[in-house]
Amino acid sequence: MKKNIYQPIQAVIENVIQETATIKTYTLKPVSDFSFCTGQFIELAVPNIGEGPFTPSSDPGVKEHIDMTVMNVGCVTGKLHTMKAGDVVGIRGPYGKGYPLDRFKGRDILIVGGGVGLAPLRSLLYSLFSTINDYNKVVLCYGARTSADIVYKYLIPEWSKKEKVQVNVSVDVGDPGWKGNVGLVTTLLQPKLVDIANAVAIVCGPPIMMKFATLKLLDLRFNPQDIYLSMEKNMSCGLGKCGHCRVGKFYACKDGPVFTYEELKDIHDIWD
Amino acid sequence: METYFLRNEDIFKFYDRIAQDHRLYIPVRVKSLLKPKCDYGFNLPSDDYVAKEYSEVNKEDVAFNEYRCVEPARTFFTYYKEEVCEYFTEEEASAKNIGGFATSSGGKKRRERPLAVAGFKNCDLFSLKIQDYVFLEGVDADPLYQARRENNLIISSDCPNFKEACFCRAFEINPHPIEGFDFNLSSTANGFLVDVASDKARSIYKSIQEIFTPATFGQLSGRSAKRESLIKRLEEHLNHHKIPKKETLQEIVLAGLNSGVWNEQMKTCVECNGCVFMCDTCHCFLLVDEPAGERTKRLRVWDGCLMKNFTRVAGGANPLKLRYQRLRNRYLKKFDFFISNLGYQACCGCGRCIDVCPGRIDIRNILRRLYEEKHLSANTGSH
Repeated sequence: MKKNIYQPIQAVIENVIQETATIKTYTLKPVSDFSFCTGQFIELAVPNIGEGPFTPSSDPGVKEHIDMTVMNVGCVTGKLHTMKAGDVVGIRGPYGKGYPLDRFKGRDILIVGGGVGLAPLRSLLYSLFSTINDYNKVVLCYGARTSADIVYKYLIPEWSKKEKVQVNVSVDVGDPGWKGNVGLVTTLLQPKLVDIANAVAIVCGPPIMMKFATLKLLDLRFNPQDIYLSMEKNMSCGLGKCGHCRVGKFYACKDGPVFTYEELKDIHDIWD
Repeated sequence: METYFLRNEDIFKFYDRIAQDHRLYIPVRVKSLLKPKCDYGFNLPSDDYVAKEYSEVNKEDVAFNEYRCVEPARTFFTYYKEEVCEYFTEEEASAKNIGGFATSSGGKKRRERPLAVAGFKNCDLFSLKIQDYVFLEGVDADPLYQARRENNLIISSDCPNFKEACFCRAFEINPHPIEGFDFNLSSTANGFLVDVASDKARSIYKSIQEIFTPATFGQLSGRSAKRESLIKRLEEHLNHHKIPKKETLQEIVLAGLNSGVWNEQMKTCVECNGCVFMCDTCHCFLLVDEPAGERTKRLRVWDGCLMKNFTRVAGGANPLKLRYQRLRNRYLKKFDFFISNLGYQACCGCGRCIDVCPGRIDIRNILRRLYEEKHLSANTGSH
C-alpha cells in the first residue's frame, strides 16, 4: 500500500514545562518510531484544529521522545497551550534539511538565538555537545525581551559549565533582578568571541532579529556561506507541493529550512 | 505511434467503447454572449466548451472542441476540496483513500471506474507536466494524484481554431499535441485522424479496429498543412499583443521587482482569485483540519497566492500584505521559480485567466509592459 503523505501519527504528551508566560515545552512520545536530524522540522497537529510546522528542541540522539517548545500565538498553538500530559497530538515528518554538522567540524561555532528561536538551537546544542571534540568551541549568544522571557533558564547554567562552551545572554529591557547584559542580542556579537576566519554562525529568531544579526555578522567579516539562517515560513505540506513557503527559487520546507546567507542574499524581501 | 482514420459516423462507437470501462468526460458547447473586447479583426469565436460526463449528455450536444475547455485540466486530478486523510485511524484512512476515489457517503468503499477525458489540448498537456512535477516528483508523490494520473486515459485533440485569449504560440507551445496523450484526434475531411500512443490506447484500438482504417499519406500531409496554417494565423494574431519571447520571461520579471507595473495592473483587481483557480498550472493548496465526530478530517483545499492570507503566519506577520506584492509573487513563481527548477515557465498560454478576469487584467499585457520597461524604457505608454 502506498504511503499517505498527509497522515499524522499519534504522539502522547508526557510532560509540559511552562518556560515563560507564553511559551511551553512539551515532551511527546510518538506511538511508533520517529527520528529527526537537528534542524529538521515536523508538522504538529492538534486534533480538530489544524497543524503547523515546528522544529524539535530535544536531542536528536534521544529516540524515545521529542521535545517541542511552542509559543502561544495562534489557533493551533492556543489550543495546544490548553493541553496537558496524557493528551494526544499528531506529528508528521521530519521534513527539510537540518544543520550540516559535517561542515562545522574543526571550526568555532557561534550560535545566535532570539526569543523562542532558541528551541531549534537547543537541539543543535545537544548535538554539538555529544560530539564536542569535533569543534574548537561553541559560543551561544541569546537575547530575550526581558528576563522573564528567557527560555530554558534552568539549563543555561549547566550549559555554561561545559568545557569549550560559552553562553552569553542579553535582555532588551533590564529589570532590578537582572545582573546580565542589557541590549539587543546584536550587542553581544563582538569581534573577539570567535576566530571569525574559521567560524560559522547559526542564527534563529524572529525575522527582524535575524536581519540585524546577519548584518552585524557581515560587518564582523563573516563569509556569507558561513552564516546559517532558519527561514521558517508558513509551510503547510512540508513536502514542496503546497507552494506556501517559496523563498526565491527554493522552498523553505524541502530546500531549507536552514539556508546559508550566500544562498539567500540575492533574493528580495527575505526578511519580511 | 500509429495513426488511423475514423469516419465521422463512427466517432460515437469510439466514445461508447471508451465509456464501457471509463468514466468519460467530453466537451459540450456552451453559447457565450460575450464577444472579445477586440480581436484585431480576426472575427474569432467566443463560444466555450465545458467537459461533461458522457453518459449524461445527448449525443447531439457532444462537440469537437475548437480550443481548450473552460475548466483547467488539473480539475480532473486535484479537486478544489477533498479529504486526504482522517486521524487517528491510520489503517482505515489509508485503505479508504489510496488508489481509488474517496466516497464518504455511507462509509462504503466504492472504487470508481478509471477516468477518461476527451478534449484536452496541447496547453492542457503542457500544464500537466507542471502538475506532475509538483505532485509526483520531489520528496514524495501525492498518492491521490498519482492514482488518478496512473489510471486515466487522455484523448487530446488538435485545435482547429483559437480564442482571442489563446497565446500558446507566444511560448512556442503548439496548438496540436505530439506527446503526453493516449489518443489524439485531428479533424479531417469526413472524419478524424486518430493517433494511438500508449499500450492502453492500443488495446482499446484493437478491440474496435474494424472502425479504423490506416491513415493515408494524403490525410497525414493534409493534417500537417492544416497545423502549419493555424500556427501562422495564431502568430499573426499574437503579433498584435507583442508578448515577450519565452527566453526573456525570467529576466524581465526579475528586472521588474521594483517596477510600477504591478501596482498599475492591480488597480482593477477585485481579489476574486479567478485567475488562480482557472489557471492550468497553479497548484497551491492548504491542508485544513476540521472536526468529524471523534476524529479529525484533513482536507486539501486549493489555495491561491493572490489571497491576502496566503503567506500569513500565526503571529500575524504577512510578507505579502499588499496586492501588488502578491501579483509580483505570482509572476516570480511562474517565471522565475519554475524556470530555475524545471527549465520552463508555469504558463501554457491557455488564456483562462484572461477570460475569467472581471477586472480585465491581462497576463499578456503585464509581460509586455515588463518587457518594455526593461528594454524600451523610452516607450512605456500603456496599451
